[in-house]
Amino acid sequence: MFKFNKIYKEYDAPILGPLSLDIKKNSFVSILGSSGAGKSTLLRLASDLIKPTSGSVEYLNNKKPNIGFVFQDPTLLPWRSVIDNVLLPAELTFKNKKVSEEKAYFWLSKVGLEGKENSLPNQLSGGQKMRVSIARAMVQDCSLLLMDEPFAALDEVSRNKLEDDLLDIWKKNKLTVLFVTHSVTEAVYLAERVLVMSSSPGKILDDVIITNKKLRDDGQQSNEFFSKINYLTNILKKESNE
Amino acid sequence: MIKRYLSFLAPIISFLLLLCVWEITVNSQNIPKYILPAPTDIFASLLLNYSDLLRSTFITFRITFFAFMIASLLAIFIAILFSQSKIIELSLYPIAVIFQVTPVVAIAPLILIWVGLDNAEYAILILAVIVAFFPVLANANLGIRSVEKNLSELFSLYEANRLQRLFKLQLPYALPFILTGMKTSIGLALIGSVVAEFVAGSGTSTGLAWRIIEAGNRLDVPKLFAALILLVLLGIILFLIMSLLEKILLKRWDIDKS
Repeated sequence: MFKFNKIYKEYDAPILGPLSLDIKKNSFVSILGSSGAGKSTLLRLASDLIKPTSGSVEYLNNKKPNIGFVFQDPTLLPWRSVIDNVLLPAELTFKNKKVSEEKAYFWLSKVGLEGKENSLPNQLSGGQKMRVSIARAMVQDCSLLLMDEPFAALDEVSRNKLEDDLLDIWKKNKLTVLFVTHSVTEAVYLAERVLVMSSSPGKILDDVIITNKKLRDDGQQSNEFFSKINYLTNILKKESNE
Repeated sequence: MIKRYLSFLAPIISFLLLLCVWEITVNSQNIPKYILPAPTDIFASLLLNYSDLLRSTFITFRITFFAFMIASLLAIFIAILFSQSKIIELSLYPIAVIFQVTPVVAIAPLILIWVGLDNAEYAILILAVIVAFFPVLANANLGIRSVEKNLSELFSLYEANRLQRLFKLQLPYALPFILTGMKTSIGLALIGSVVAEFVAGSGTSTGLAWRIIEAGNRLDVPKLFAALILLVLLGIILFLIMSLLEKILLKRWDIDKS
């Protein structure tokens, strides 16, 4: 889907890299790491929101894909109804209104918010707001979905439900997902591949492939699931002690 | 429920009590009217001079309203310019601060000379605009700059142009800030128009400030108080209208306590 070629980013101090990375099309990649590891910077570089100090981002076929971004907070405009929030990307990119509306309604029902189209964001729960945010990211037919700790502020029940819904959306829509999280369990549960980042400056410490499809399908019950979690937790512990 | 009535009734009762004490004190101590008139004298003067005083109230209201509108629109326009160009902000902001810190009384004679003594009302309007302008500018500027980073990035992600960013994000986001500035500004517009009228005189029109000066010169203190009361009432009404407008416009923001 895209490649990082010796990416390096600094502001006042080095933040990230040098870092090379290849993200395959239709893959689900989780990024783990302590605070300040440059995980969010990595997403912003991938979305072209910020430019690297050196190195380059290379998209598949040299064409920037349609990108959806889900932030840690839902980033909804409080003065706009749910449907108008979902339609925002279409408005900004001057898309056909009728077609966009159909898509917006489709995605809102897909994320379980049918009937809430005309509600205001402040009339929704935290989980519902995040669902609006996901629908907004999807409405532009995005092929690359970047998520920056999207479920961090949610309670466990909402979080688990959203994780399953996200997996369902990923599978059915052939998306490439880059998912930043602090939770090892969440990372292993969701992804096919987990990148562990070290901090100051952020580099890839380990790249763990979760090959066994059954692992995710069996959910959090299998022994392998726990062994991967233990393995990743130990890496993170070691990194934080260093 | 009782608490709600109490919060409404308590200030009214205490105000009525104050009026009673005032009335009794003035009458029992035989205080002359030209020093401190009794509330009944003030009320009588209000009835006697109501047509003059109402006309003056309307003139003061008109100047205040126009000054407030001009100041608000101008300030929002300049805040928009600031948001579009750092160079414009760096160039113009110090001038705005100079206007803010210069006492209106000190520049009134100059404005009066420039506008012409025959156009005192315009001079008053300009002075009131200068007084009312800054709070809206400062708040609008702050509001536009306070847009959440993530929201701003969202607009960047979809390559929003400047106008989209301004009208779909920055201005709606800044609305609560702008309205706070306008609430301060409307009071200042009234103060500005009164102070300016004190200094500039009234020319052909006579606002409440001129009535106060006139009554003072004639030692007609009941009328002076009557004009003062109308001025206070005007200020309160304008503030309440602005608060109501803020409540209506910010309905969507107000519910959001998150």
